[in-house]
Formats: sequence, structure tokens, C-alpha cells
Amino acid sequence: MITIALPTGRLGNQAMEILKQAVEGLEELEPSSRKLIFHSRDSSLRFLLVKPSDVPTYTEHGVADIGIVGKDTLLEEGSQLYEMMDLGFGKCRMVVAGFPNKKDSWVTQSYTRVATKYPNIAKNYFSGLDETIEIIKLNGSVELGPLVGLSDVIVDIVESGRTLRDNGLVVLDEICRISARLVVNRVSLKTKNEPITQLINSIEKILEEK
Amino acid sequence: MNRWKRHIPEGVQDYLPGEYYNKRWVEEVIRKVFFYSGYDEIESPVFEYLDVFVGDKAYIKQEQMLKIVEAGSRILVMRPDVTMPIARIAATKLRKAPLPIRLSYISDVYRYQEPWLGKQRQIAQAGTELIGLEGPEADAETISTVIQCFLDLGLKDFQIDIGQVEFFKGLVDEAGLDSKSSEQLRLLIEQKNLLALESLLEEIPLKAEIKELFLNLPKMYGSIDILEKGALYTGNNRCIKAIENIREVYEILKDYGLEKYITFDLGMIYSLNYYTGIIFRVFTKDLGFPLCGGGRYDKLLSEFGYDVPATGFAIDIKRLLIALDRQGGLKTLPNTDILLVLDKKNRQEGYKLSDQLKKEGKRVEIFFSTHNNKSPQEYAESKGISEVIFL
Repeated sequence: MITIALPTGRLGNQAMEILKQAVEGLEELEPSSRKLIFHSRDSSLRFLLVKPSDVPTYTEHGVADIGIVGKDTLLEEGSQLYEMMDLGFGKCRMVVAGFPNKKDSWVTQSYTRVATKYPNIAKNYFSGLDETIEIIKLNGSVELGPLVGLSDVIVDIVESGRTLRDNGLVVLDEICRISARLVVNRVSLKTKNEPITQLINSIEKILEEK
Repeated sequence: MNRWKRHIPEGVQDYLPGEYYNKRWVEEVIRKVFFYSGYDEIESPVFEYLDVFVGDKAYIKQEQMLKIVEAGSRILVMRPDVTMPIARIAATKLRKAPLPIRLSYISDVYRYQEPWLGKQRQIAQAGTELIGLEGPEADAETISTVIQCFLDLGLKDFQIDIGQVEFFKGLVDEAGLDSKSSEQLRLLIEQKNLLALESLLEEIPLKAEIKELFLNLPKMYGSIDILEKGALYTGNNRCIKAIENIREVYEILKDYGLEKYITFDLGMIYSLNYYTGIIFRVFTKDLGFPLCGGGRYDKLLSEFGYDVPATGFAIDIKRLLIALDRQGGLKTLPNTDILLVLDKKNRQEGYKLSDQLKKEGKRVEIFFSTHNNKSPQEYAESKGISEVIFL
């Protein structure tokens, strides 16, 4: 049996759509129900519904063999996992954003205050630029930071850029591109190699057909 | 009362009787394998100078070491690793000992890391270091010692995953890559991230042959057959030697009858500053992370002024206990065998009898009825003691 950690929300639903095409016996699965664990018809697959940021944890500990997770979460958690597929959906960008008139001045201050849900990504990015920053950890509506003077800039994911625009903010720099990834526990890939490779191959086929 | 009096910090644990009995059992089995394979056990100090563990290359992150900083002293650390103290000892106190030197240890190491199951801050390790011996025979000796430990403990379904860092290093060398791009490549290969690897390789100007080899590395895992596929074919001398080394180690292990425990992964390339040849990890399907790691580190001792090759490994005892527990392979702590009921009049001859019974290998508890409000039979039953002796 292979255990797959699926994130709750849109990413998980999109992953489930692809899995349903790739694997037989998943048709009647209804991941929106309140059950946290469910099985494929022949019990060869088990799914855990977990909070998106917890997917790497479940997979690294080996309680899940496979996880579906956004690249943003992977970068933030820094887990020791095999990152074997780019699933191609959930596309967005990780960016530094702020007021346009700060576009050049923020780098020259002695330190920059950064509001973000992703403190590790922000720390790594700015330390690569040899800049000193102060992280202000927020859990949502990060765009508010610069608007009310809580921070100079934000580090966050943007999809269309609409929220930024509506609030008078612009992208100052792109850190990286984000999309959904399929990750595999390092021991599972070796000890359950055949079923895992098979599953990956059938998902690959579906993605190629798209 | 101060409530912290009743707590312990994160990342450490109390070993209670049942688990500790098994920890001691596991350690004794391993100790025997080491001893009878000619390894001499030693112990290094619990704390020593930070300098021992840092050098030109950062083997262990400074952030992970538990430091002791005092005015008037160099910085001390709780030992984060035993191999480096052993390298120090071999290079100084054992400098005149005939080579090869075989040393072993069963000691705790200390690392500051986010604790989870099997990843604590005080880590019980058992390992060997084979110093002053090059060649596949020494690598095979190290790997067969690991296998023997697990076989003697009755661990089921384990496999030793073997890699060779020289193949990757040889390619980087030939391609003339700088440290930044070789580290990017290493990370993507180690993560088996084929797509990102492909796009990174498009950005770097490289010969098509080398590109192809880098791209093949993440897929090169499984049985010995991966070496036959031709996907690793190259004229690069360093790479050819690396593959030859793997083959030779495999041939030796095959002659030892141990090949069924062996798999390979050429894309396993971690701690490249430290390892210089064969590396390996051990795992079972009952645990999501490795129980043991090791490999060849021919450059480490020269940092202590003694230029000799070496190879070794460390078993994580807590992880081993978890795996054995999940397989139902742990022992039950035996109950006391005999409850010897004594009073003031017969305690003299009673003590002699208890001494005699203990020497026969019985666990004997002495019971003074005057000091206990339970009857001897009641007490024996509550503790699962099968025999009660009255004088």
C-alpha cells in the first residue's frame, strides 16, 4: 500500500483530478468529505488529507510515501525529500513586492522590514543579497504590511498580481517560479520502488496528454 | 513547587526500564560484533574544543553544535560527532600504532536540531572507523560489519544503499564547473529533480556527453544491473575508477554471501566535503529515514596532520530501536525470578542463599514482611514473580 499526503484546498482537488485519471478505482472518492483518511477501491492507495504546509512533514517522517505540495511550501520547510515531478498546476511566482517609489531606495536602508508567510525563503533570498532584514511573520493578507507601515516590503506568492495592483503595490523582484510538485520519501522510493515508479509513470502520461 | 522540576528539555529522553533493557541489549550485540571483528572500543570526552569539529571545510553546521562559551576559555562544544575526535586521537596518541587501526565506539553525540521521532538532540550512536587502509577490501569490511550487526539483532527487510561520490566529482572536475553551479547540480541530483536538472543543464555550456551523464545520475539506482546499462559510460578516468571500485566492493560482498542486502544509488551525493569514495545508508521499510550512514573519508585525518585514508559508519541506536519495535523484534524485560522472604531470625542464612541463587543466574528480590503491608504472595503476583521462597 502507498500512502499519499494530499493538501486540503484547491491544490489537493486539482491533484485528485489527475490521480483519478491516472489510477483506476478512485472514481467515487469524495475528498471534500470530512474524513481525513480514505482508500482507493482495492486499498492499494491510501490518502491523508492534511494542511498544505504539513505535507512535507508527513512525507519526511515516512508516514506518507508521496506528497503533493506547492514549491513554496517545499522551499520554506527545506525538507529532505525527492522532488520527482512538476505537476504543472498551481502556477504562481514568489516575489518581493512593495510601493513603486521604494523600488530602489529599500535596498539602501540599513535594514529592511519584510512581512511574509515565508520567513525562511525571505531570509535565504536576502542573505544571498548580503542584506540585513527584519522578518515580520504574518499568516495572511500580507499586502497590508507596507500599506499601514508595518513593513517596507513583503515576500509572498502572486498569481495574477491583482491584489497587489488593487493596493498600489508592485513586484520589485521575482525570487522564483512556483507550481505543485510530487515529492517522495527517500526510503519509500527504494523500499516501495515498483508501485511508486508505476504511479509516477501513469501520472506523467496523463500530464503529457494534457 | 517550580513546575520545571518535573520536566526535561526537548530533544532528550528518559530511557525507562523496558526500553533501556533493549538499548543495552542492542548495544551489547553490536559491541560483540565490533570486538570480534578486531575493533578496539574507545571513548572521547563529552566536550572538547570547537576547533576539532571545524576546519577548512564545514563538516557539521555550527548552528547544530551545542556550544559552551566562557571567558578565558576557547569555545567548547558537546561532541557533535565521534569520527572527528577519533581522527584527532589516531593522529596524535595513536600516531605510532601499526596501521591499519581499527577503533569503535558506542557514545552519545549532541546536535541542536528540530526534534521529531528518531531525531533527538542527544543521539546514541555506535560505529567503527578503519584507519590507514585503502581499497575495496576496507570498504567491504565496513559494510559487512554493518550487515553483521543487523543480522545478529534479527532486523528484517533491511537494505544497504551504496553510492560513490567520486563519479560526480570526476564529472564536475572534467566539466570545470565552479563551486556554485556544481552545488546547484548536486542538490538537484540528490533531490532526483529531473526537470529542474534538465533546465539548469541547458543554461550551463557543457559537452553533450557530460550533460547526458549528469542527467542520468538521478535515475541510476537499484540493483547492480544499473552499472551494466551503459548509461554511465564515459572516458573520464576518475569516473571509471569510481565504477570499478563499486564493482570490486560488490564482488567481495558477493563472495561473503551478503549481496542480497545491497542496492545502489549513484545519485546519492551528500556531504561531498567529507566523503571521498564509497558512501552508504541503511534502511528498512518499517522506518521512513535511514538507521545508519557511513563511507570513505580519506582527507579528514590530514586535517589533523596525519595523511592516511579511513572509512567508517555510525548506527543511530534510537532509530534502530524504533525499527526493531515496529517489527516486533524487541525483548521483554525479564521479571524477577525469585522472591525470598526473610525475617530477623533467618536473614543471615537467607542472605547466603540469595547470593548463591544470584550466582546461578537468578534475579532475586529480598522481601521483609515486617516492612511491607502486602503479603509476599500478593506482592509477587503484582510484580509477576513466579517463585516465592520461605525459609
